[in-house]
Amino acid sequence: MHAFILAGGFATRLWPLTESRPKPLLPVAGKPILTHLVEKIPKGIPITVSTNAVFADAFHEWQSATRNEQLAILIEDTRADDHKLGALGAVAQWITDAKIDEDVLLLTGDNYIGFSLSSFIENYNEGISLLAAHDIADLERAKQFGTVILDIDGRSVSAFEEKPHNPKSTLVSTGCSILPRSTLPILQEYAKRCPDNVGGIFEELLQKNIRVEAFIFREPWFDIGSFDAYLAATKAIVGNNVMTGEGSYMEGSSVLGSVVMGKNCTVHNATLENVVLFDNCTIANCDLSDCICDDGCHINGTDLRGKMLRKATILVQRS
Amino acid sequence: MSRYRLLLALWLLSDLLVFTACYAVAYFLRVGPILSTDVSFGKYILCSALAAPVTIAVLGTTRTFALARSQATLRNAAYIAYSCLVGTALFTLGYYFLFESFFSRLLLAYAFVLSALGLLAWHVLFQWILRAVLRRDPPAFPTLIVGVTRESRALVATLNASRNPLKPVAILDGRGVSDKDIAGVPVLGKLNKLEEVLAKKNISHLIQCSDMEQSLNLLSACRNHGITYIVLPSVFGIVERDETVESLEGIPVTVVRPKGGWLGWFVR
Repeated sequence: MHAFILAGGFATRLWPLTESRPKPLLPVAGKPILTHLVEKIPKGIPITVSTNAVFADAFHEWQSATRNEQLAILIEDTRADDHKLGALGAVAQWITDAKIDEDVLLLTGDNYIGFSLSSFIENYNEGISLLAAHDIADLERAKQFGTVILDIDGRSVSAFEEKPHNPKSTLVSTGCSILPRSTLPILQEYAKRCPDNVGGIFEELLQKNIRVEAFIFREPWFDIGSFDAYLAATKAIVGNNVMTGEGSYMEGSSVLGSVVMGKNCTVHNATLENVVLFDNCTIANCDLSDCICDDGCHINGTDLRGKMLRKATILVQRS
Repeated sequence: MSRYRLLLALWLLSDLLVFTACYAVAYFLRVGPILSTDVSFGKYILCSALAAPVTIAVLGTTRTFALARSQATLRNAAYIAYSCLVGTALFTLGYYFLFESFFSRLLLAYAFVLSALGLLAWHVLFQWILRAVLRRDPPAFPTLIVGVTRESRALVATLNASRNPLKPVAILDGRGVSDKDIAGVPVLGKLNKLEEVLAKKNISHLIQCSDMEQSLNLLSACRNHGITYIVLPSVFGIVERDETVESLEGIPVTVVRPKGGWLGWFVR
């Protein structure tokens, strides 16, 4: 089995946090989303991370830091959103170029999954596609995902609809699947027609009467594509705690909910509620609630709520 | 920018000359085409030359020379008239203090009217020259518009129609739009292109027309790059053109008042 992680998006919805780093390398609870994912992949499985040329350096830097010899970075030579191969196109290209002839563990690099990938792989029946599904219990939200309808056996997938207008199920596919080697030629053909539709491959398999199974999990899962999802993931992972990075300290301050401080942050005389500070931030005399501050932000004497601040933002209230 | 500074210096210098020349014309209109011995032309023109820089300085305090100011407006004409009135008063006082004498009151009226009309006409003409030079490619003030909205479309059209020195050269939109251009100005994508556009287009001004949630970040980017940040009131939902920027105990605030009569302008 070979793991393939899709990490080539331009993440415009998370601007400005993604201004200087790709979304999969955004830190969640102290480490990049991608690191959370890679750490869950059982040892011995080679991993290929596919990304675009814009963020190539950042991924190579991350690769050096992770020191995982199983890890390879595949750079798709695109510099703009409209020049991309498409997510499924990138998978197909890799299968062709790397002459992949084994089962593929397909993952999306901006998803945080709470379940064990070892359990997921253990649940894989040789030669039968398996996708991880999660019940989000919200039909409206289900419109944004691929929805899964199960057979009466509770495991076989009877129908799959990618981003349906009228979802019939709140069970959604979570960007984690295993595609057996036998399905790879179908994937390559399908990618020629629908290079962007990763979930569509399951519709295609079902249309060809090829069995697809679902692995249902109850652990947390987050598709970190927006400010709200990013904060929700942080709250779920950190809980009502404070995570303090190396060289960071807080004095005369109070905290509520989840607070994450990166490296070398200083918080003085402030109230923080569900706040994420990246590295080298200085916060003084502020009440911050539901805020994310990128590296090097310096805030003094200002109260903020529900803000994402770009790198090196300086907000100092002059008296 | 250097183009603008040079033009501004020329503008100020030419204003001094226009002011003094208007006084000279007033003299010859009132006295006739002679050099009177009763009212010495030398003394007269010396005093008007001394009053000129102060008049232009007073005009400067009304922000008449501001980049975004349109010269051909009633408000601007009022500012120029006010400054020229101050200039005439200064001229009168100067003449009295220097030479201990007064002269024709009608000449003063001529001088005031001619200097006000002369400066206004020159400002309108100079603005036309200034805008033509500043907008010539590469523009002196390449401007980035953020947000594709009804307001931003109208703004781009107005800036181009009036040949404003702030020349829109690119548009970004927080959510992405299908439009390729707005009135010939290219829409270059979403805000993830901000840094690239600021650098490539050498942006000097950024006008935010939507995406209120990104105000802090746009302002931060402007501060980091030394760019002037402008925000339309419509970003805050103020669309009726009845807002004013005032001071509340020294703190600048945007104010929208209930509609009232014209007297309210004086007593608000």
